[in-house]
Amino acid sequence: MKPKFSVSDLNLFYGNFQALHQINIEIPSNQVTALIGPSGCGKSTFLRTLNRMNDLVDTAKITGNIQLDGENIYSDIDVMKLRTRVGMVFQKPNPFPMSIYDNIAYGPRCQGVKDKQRLNQIVEDSLRGAALWDEVKDRLNKSAMGLSGGQQQRLCIARAIAMEPEVILMDEPTSALDPIATKKVEELMEQLKKKYTIVIVTHSMQQAARISDKTAFFLMGELIEFDDTNKVFTNPQDKRTEDYITGRFG
Amino acid sequence: MSRKVKDQLCNMLIWLSAAFSVGILVLVVGFIFSKGWSKISLDFLFNDYESKTQYVTLESDQAYQAPASLSESALFSENLGVALELKEDHYEIVWMDKESPLKEATNNADEKVKISKGDCVQQIKVSGKSLKLDKKTDQEEIVKALNENNTLVMKVMSVGGGIFPMIVSTLLLVLVALLFSAPIGILAAIYLVEYAKPGKLVNVIRFATEILAGIPSVVYGLFGMLMFVNTLNLGMSILAGGLTLTILLLPTMMRTTEEALKVVPMSYREASYGLGANKIQTLSKVVLPSAIPGILVGVILSIGRIIGESAALLFTIGTFAKLPVNPESGNFSLLETGTSLTVRAYIEVKESGNVEMAAAIGIIILIVVFTLNLFSRLIAKKFSKANN
Amino acid sequence: MKKDMSLNKRRVVLEKFFHGVFLLAALIAVLSVALIIIFIFGKGLAPFFSGNEYGTYSFIDFITGLKWTPQSGEYGVGYMIVNSIFATFGAILVGVPIALFTAVFIAEIAPKWLAGIVRPAIELLAAIPSVLYGVFGFAVITPLVKQFSPYPTGDSLLAVIIVLTIMILPTIVAVVETAIRAVPKSYKEGSLALGASKIQTIFKVTLPAARSGILTGIILGVGRAIGETMAVILVAGNPESGIATTIFSRVRLLTTNIALEQGYAAKLHEQMLFSTAVVLFIFIMIINLVLAQIQKRGGDR
Repeated sequence: MKPKFSVSDLNLFYGNFQALHQINIEIPSNQVTALIGPSGCGKSTFLRTLNRMNDLVDTAKITGNIQLDGENIYSDIDVMKLRTRVGMVFQKPNPFPMSIYDNIAYGPRCQGVKDKQRLNQIVEDSLRGAALWDEVKDRLNKSAMGLSGGQQQRLCIARAIAMEPEVILMDEPTSALDPIATKKVEELMEQLKKKYTIVIVTHSMQQAARISDKTAFFLMGELIEFDDTNKVFTNPQDKRTEDYITGRFG
Repeated sequence: MSRKVKDQLCNMLIWLSAAFSVGILVLVVGFIFSKGWSKISLDFLFNDYESKTQYVTLESDQAYQAPASLSESALFSENLGVALELKEDHYEIVWMDKESPLKEATNNADEKVKISKGDCVQQIKVSGKSLKLDKKTDQEEIVKALNENNTLVMKVMSVGGGIFPMIVSTLLLVLVALLFSAPIGILAAIYLVEYAKPGKLVNVIRFATEILAGIPSVVYGLFGMLMFVNTLNLGMSILAGGLTLTILLLPTMMRTTEEALKVVPMSYREASYGLGANKIQTLSKVVLPSAIPGILVGVILSIGRIIGESAALLFTIGTFAKLPVNPESGNFSLLETGTSLTVRAYIEVKESGNVEMAAAIGIIILIVVFTLNLFSRLIAKKFSKANN
Repeated sequence: MKKDMSLNKRRVVLEKFFHGVFLLAALIAVLSVALIIIFIFGKGLAPFFSGNEYGTYSFIDFITGLKWTPQSGEYGVGYMIVNSIFATFGAILVGVPIALFTAVFIAEIAPKWLAGIVRPAIELLAAIPSVLYGVFGFAVITPLVKQFSPYPTGDSLLAVIIVLTIMILPTIVAVVETAIRAVPKSYKEGSLALGASKIQTIFKVTLPAARSGILTGIILGVGRAIGETMAVILVAGNPESGIATTIFSRVRLLTTNIALEQGYAAKLHEQMLFSTAVVLFIFIMIINLVLAQIQKRGGDR
């Protein structure tokens, strides 16, 4: 099967500090790929290179090659276009201070969708896709800030889905949520992978083991190991991976 | 000295200082209100500053009915549909019919004259005779003169002593100054917060803003006079004053907007970019709407500043208590001189020691400024709540 | 696909356009400063160079002169400089302790409800336009000063200092209060845990820790005092000569000199008023530089 993302010889520098070293990885389509590793290992940084969010950091410099379906995301694809194809959900739920409806409609509107009917449809589909529709359908015009943390995060997922992306990047999407909300988001991911490729950064190895098909272990800016989740957790090839997942450090 | 005594002494000084600071406010505000309160009335707000005496020609074409509510001592003219009443030693217009010829009065130069309630009738000329109106004049004779002929001439004095021209000029000034300074200040702040990369250019802009913030208003006044009044040839005018204030307000406007933009969470921007929005979309749809209350506070504070400013205006809009109206066309014009409330308060004291008038103007200024202050406080409070 | 490209191009052009607009707005601030400096300095320095159309004037005589009599062609601002410094210094001397104590009161001593009254009151003090302080000074302070003065009028350095003191209070209080609040709680707890009293803690730990903020407040106060015009013009007396010898002396200041005479000045006289503004401007620049230095050092720590 052709990979969704194929990354080769990726290096990333923040000024003089090298945050990523020679990353080579192929992220498969329609699967959940988990990125794990101790804090500061570069997993979030790597995630953010996939939709060029690192562009927002002035000092960040990148070398190497990242291809999305064979196109170089730094040269062949316009960055705005890229981000519509590769959506992102952040660590802390960050809905805009607008109504639920406007939050979801934000992305499509930015792309020039004006038709009310179509927007309505997108909002409903996205909220259904994020398993939030039943909870909020009666208060679409209320502020998104009034939702609970878990609902806000699913709203952010819905907002990402509204763009009909091919990939959804999730940066520790449940770290700010309570266990029940976490479970809901995880169930949602299970649903989503049928349609989307998901790349998730997580701090919790249990979560990685529960939800992912592939797992990549990062350490000090290097990709140490990348394989089927089962394999990584039961039979890691690298000593450092083993140390990490058995809790000897990190 | 024991520690306890020392502590108590310090404590006392602290309480005294705080009491002094608050006491000053009470004293100053109390003084302004007590000194000026007696002058405050609707007339004070809406009357012209100068009183004006004119001869008007009136033509009557019908008879009018006196209103039922007319007081006993009022004199009524069926001919003109107007009622006069003796106040101290002059006759004041206390009632006018809606269709009274006084509404259509013209003066010697054939210009329309607006006669209103409260104006004072000093003389009536009818059928070649002239009758002076004061408390010695026989009342029956007045009524007779008023109803004698269909054409008569009246000497009418409009009451002055009001601050209407200054209110209008001040409002126009606020409008002009905000019209320029708000967009420039907001756009500049957007540049500094959202676009600029740290470096020489930003340092220069910041340094310039700091200098602008430090320049005393009297220097702005000098500059405004040289630049706008003379060089750009705007003359002493509302526009020249407004442009001078634009520069004076720029630092405040920029700083408050910058603060407002900075508190918009980075996560909003990230989320917007993450959804494929471009910079302008992110700015106009996410960042600016969230920053609006903060920007509004800046605008409101600027209005207060405009209303309170005087040194920068003294030589840029002038000191004449007149409406900024072009004398030929009769239309409002930004190129006409006028004067603001605050400048007028200064002139009143400086030129005639008229503290009552200055204090009365002061009351209006204080009410407006304090209300603005309250508004900005409310908005800021709501804003900070919404962001938490 | 082709349509996509053109859309992108339009986007890029649009982004560039807005970037330019924002930059332009920001540059207006720089342009304004440049224009102000060019205009004020151009006109204000002209009399000190030969070839000035209205005749030249010695810079030394200008800066050290003790007499300002345009009718006889004497333009000395020396006494105004000294008076301005006196007035500013006096206001700082009286105002800073009061402001400091008031700030301590709001931040540390007052119960919450009382602080909630005092703080807005101080802010309102800042919102009152300077002209009204002038009116207040004219009608209340100068008659009061007159009672004690050996001179026939109450217009005096003392009256100026009182008015300026009131006017710089809110500026200093606001800055100092912020600085006090920024002092880490751990400092205070450390002091209290060692058995120091609340007052001792304030004066020995909190205020020293907030000193960079206090200094900033004082400098801002100096800036406000030295540039103030309309409030002091009504209480200063504005004589044609004379350094203040007592606090009851009438004084003319740099700012009042400009505001008083600009209305009718022409030719050399007018230029000299711009020269006065140059002196004022240089004072402000010095204050700005000192302020930048303090903030830099405060930031280093």
